[in-house]
Amino acid sequence: MPVVGHVALMSLTLSLLLSRAETGRAQETDSPVVQRALMLENSGKHREAAQLFRSALGAMPNAGALLGLERAYAELGMSDSLLAPLDSLIARDPREPLYRSVQLRTLQMLRRDDRLRVAFERWVRDAPRDPAPYREYARMLLQLGRSSSADSIVQRGRLALGGARDLEYETAQLRAAQGQWRASAEAWRRALPDAPHLASAAAYALAPTPANARDTIRAIFLGRPAEPGARSALAELELTWGRPRDAWDALRSLAPDTIAARLWGDFGERAFGEERYVIARDALAASLRVSPSRSLSLVAAAAALRAGAPAEVFTLLPLADARAGADSARDAREVVPLHVEALAALRRPADAEAMVERYDRHVAPGQRVRLARALATAWVQSGDIARARIALRAAGEDADSSEAAGWLALYEGRLDAARALLKGTRETGTDLSLAFGILSRTRGDAAPELGAAFLALARGDSSSAAAQLVAAAARHQDAASAILAAAARLLATAGTGEGAVALWQRIVTQYPESPEAAESELEWARALRRRGDVAGAIAHLEHLILSAPASALLPQARHELELARAAGSPP
Amino acid sequence: MPTRFQLARSVALFVAALVVVPAVQAQRLLIPMDDAQTNHLKAYGLTYNAMKTGAQSEWLLNYRGGAFLLPDTPELRRRAALDGIATEPLSDATLAGVRREMAGGNMESVPLEKAPRIAVYTPPDAQPWDDAVTLALKYAGIEFTAIYDEQVEQGELTKYDWLHLHHEDFTGQFNKFHLGYRDAPWFREAVARNAGAARRLGFASVPALKKAVSERIRQFVERGGFLFAMCGATETLEMAIAGRDVDLAGEFADGSPMDPDADARMQWSRSLAFKDAHLEHSPFVNAMSDIDGHQVNVPGRRQPLGTFTLFNFSAKFDPVPSMLVQNHRAVLSDYYGVTTSFTKATLKSGDVVLATEEGAPWVKYIHGDYGKGTWTYLGGHDPEDPQHAIGNPHTDLSLHTSSPGYRLILNNVLFPAAKKKPLKT
Repeated sequence: MPVVGHVALMSLTLSLLLSRAETGRAQETDSPVVQRALMLENSGKHREAAQLFRSALGAMPNAGALLGLERAYAELGMSDSLLAPLDSLIARDPREPLYRSVQLRTLQMLRRDDRLRVAFERWVRDAPRDPAPYREYARMLLQLGRSSSADSIVQRGRLALGGARDLEYETAQLRAAQGQWRASAEAWRRALPDAPHLASAAAYALAPTPANARDTIRAIFLGRPAEPGARSALAELELTWGRPRDAWDALRSLAPDTIAARLWGDFGERAFGEERYVIARDALAASLRVSPSRSLSLVAAAAALRAGAPAEVFTLLPLADARAGADSARDAREVVPLHVEALAALRRPADAEAMVERYDRHVAPGQRVRLARALATAWVQSGDIARARIALRAAGEDADSSEAAGWLALYEGRLDAARALLKGTRETGTDLSLAFGILSRTRGDAAPELGAAFLALARGDSSSAAAQLVAAAARHQDAASAILAAAARLLATAGTGEGAVALWQRIVTQYPESPEAAESELEWARALRRRGDVAGAIAHLEHLILSAPASALLPQARHELELARAAGSPP
Repeated sequence: MPTRFQLARSVALFVAALVVVPAVQAQRLLIPMDDAQTNHLKAYGLTYNAMKTGAQSEWLLNYRGGAFLLPDTPELRRRAALDGIATEPLSDATLAGVRREMAGGNMESVPLEKAPRIAVYTPPDAQPWDDAVTLALKYAGIEFTAIYDEQVEQGELTKYDWLHLHHEDFTGQFNKFHLGYRDAPWFREAVARNAGAARRLGFASVPALKKAVSERIRQFVERGGFLFAMCGATETLEMAIAGRDVDLAGEFADGSPMDPDADARMQWSRSLAFKDAHLEHSPFVNAMSDIDGHQVNVPGRRQPLGTFTLFNFSAKFDPVPSMLVQNHRAVLSDYYGVTTSFTKATLKSGDVVLATEEGAPWVKYIHGDYGKGTWTYLGGHDPEDPQHAIGNPHTDLSLHTSSPGYRLILNNVLFPAAKKKPLKT
């Protein structure tokens, strides 16, 4: 089987890094001729650019001209023309690693394997204590998929240099290419303290490690001392392997210094972007303890709020003291909305209202509506619909046609108004999906029992919400299956599995033709499988497939049937 | 209490149902294998398992991608629905029309008589990336027995009609993976396991054991067995058979270097498919011979992948090769393996080429008779993973339910079930 893929890609990445480094070096010495040549190259005039690069190289050897010539000749398919100038440059300065690297690269591109080997041997002879020839040649061989040859070169380099210290990166890549995950991780561990910027390369190389070998990798990277490069690599690996909590655990035990704070901050922002709010809050809070930063505090507070820890908003993002000359307008814009949301979540609507009043003069009209909605939500969550309506009215006419007004209509059981006002919402969330699912199936306007169910849900009482939905189902036969399915979902989320199973069972038996029947039967089968009743799960999955041949859930049901059969078959 | 009218209505409905039900059930169930099919691979399993229960089955060669015709039973309908297999009920009249259409074109109906007993030659601790056939059989729901050297040496091959070989190196050199993987745990385990088996079975080395196993396989085919091989097993089985009396293995495998006159001493008259191949003598070059056209693991020689085209045989005159190439696609993307293809120069004159790459000096898929049996070789490792590398996760066939490449494998599973007809060309 060919060994291609990640080795080649990694080598390419490395080559790009290398060429970037070389380009940076070239830019330091770019002469006006080289700059002109670069402009010609950028406009696609490679032949003219090559002439200028070549004349610049003849006048004064420099990296910019050589790399430019290499690129231009490659574009023109004339890479072999580079060999003669390279021979002259090397004769003049045999220890310059750039000339040698370009020479190896060119010979590799031309597939002149014999000359490539000779060039490497000459480089070794001219610079016997230099690790660069071993590195370059081993990387090239790896890129070509010749891992055994690369291995020989690395071994030779070790002997010649009296140790492996300068070749750890190559050893690490080599072992990964050979599937020797433990040896690769050990080499990465040795390489990373001197080159923490290679953490991503390490994570990339080790990502294909099979699941049964990952604990070994973890042990190596978690070994003491806790070192930023290794921990950073492991954190990336854990994210790739789908274990974000372990990723944070790999980073959190670093000694609290500015390097760790930067890693924690970057990790926290990434976790926030991926909607992993608890981890984001932990990482950002750790970073803030070492390096306070207003922008990071804002993200941390938002993460805490979404992570279900509203009380932490006040410590992560405290309001500045106005008497100390704080910028109240800026606070009103950035901090107050988060504080109001936190107070709402903590069922402290009166405090939220007081805060809005305190900053009222700094608040822009658009923002006022937003705050009013947050306030209304706070009152709803504390069970006071009347105060919620007052809060909303205070924000003006706009607020009356807002989503918040739509929610209020729903809580009051005015379904037509709720349908109209929630239709254009940009909000997303479980409650909204639930509401839409039911609103789209029910007919008529007044449904106080449904409103009460959603109000209970808004107050965080999902058991009561589920019970009220079940009661409402009896009064809304046209949408009974949808309402019961919503109740089952609430119970399942709240961990009341038995109650949910009873409802799924009821939907499947009483409403077999309803759109919710397939979903309910799938959930029922899953619950049975979780309980260990594989035969029961198989029977329901088969029934679902046979009874709902047009259901969009069929591919999923078939997949789960295969899994259940595999789990149920004798060893 | 029901009224008289309600009772009368119920009785009428019941009687109507009795009259209607038999009419709803057609006489035969067509399993289309063209683009109307939603799960080609499971369709093979449905047919195989129907045959196993004694159901009268037919393979309609070149009709709608090589469709199957099964009895229309509730159980088969149920299985098809559960597996997502498209079926079409056929009445007697419609079926007569189908048969008329087939009689007038390059099509033929082949009765499928008896489900073959299947053995897959695979090590007991095979890695999930090792074998596309095992994947295909498992996915299609076709039962098989895994056997390895000890069972072959104990004479168990006689229990089976169909034998599949996949990734084995029958020269005993472990596909020369020592070049890149000598310290990899799975490689070390494979070497230790094979060396242990050789000792237990009384052989001096792994190459000696593999030669003995190869001879058993040759005899299995000679006596009427159906052999299907892929990837490196094709090339190395032939080498082991032709090189029975030659030291083919490098020093790392059996302690002695390869016979320098190995090329000249090979007895290609003993082999099934190839002749006059030149062996790779260097233990440091990851290739076995010039049978493989692509030489994927030799950087200077590696050839790029192209596409290969299945031949369209005469279904009426060449039913066996026709069965082997039944597909809903005629041109397939190529994929690498330790042995990816077979060079034309090494093919014996009697070989039937089933698929080839236009303008290339190699072919992809070949077949032939040997003694009373047949062999079929398909180059490459995994039809849905062209660059398959060691350690890659195995292909999830639920994502490739209509894979034309995997269909070639499953054609081979069903073809031994066909009622034998003499090859007419």
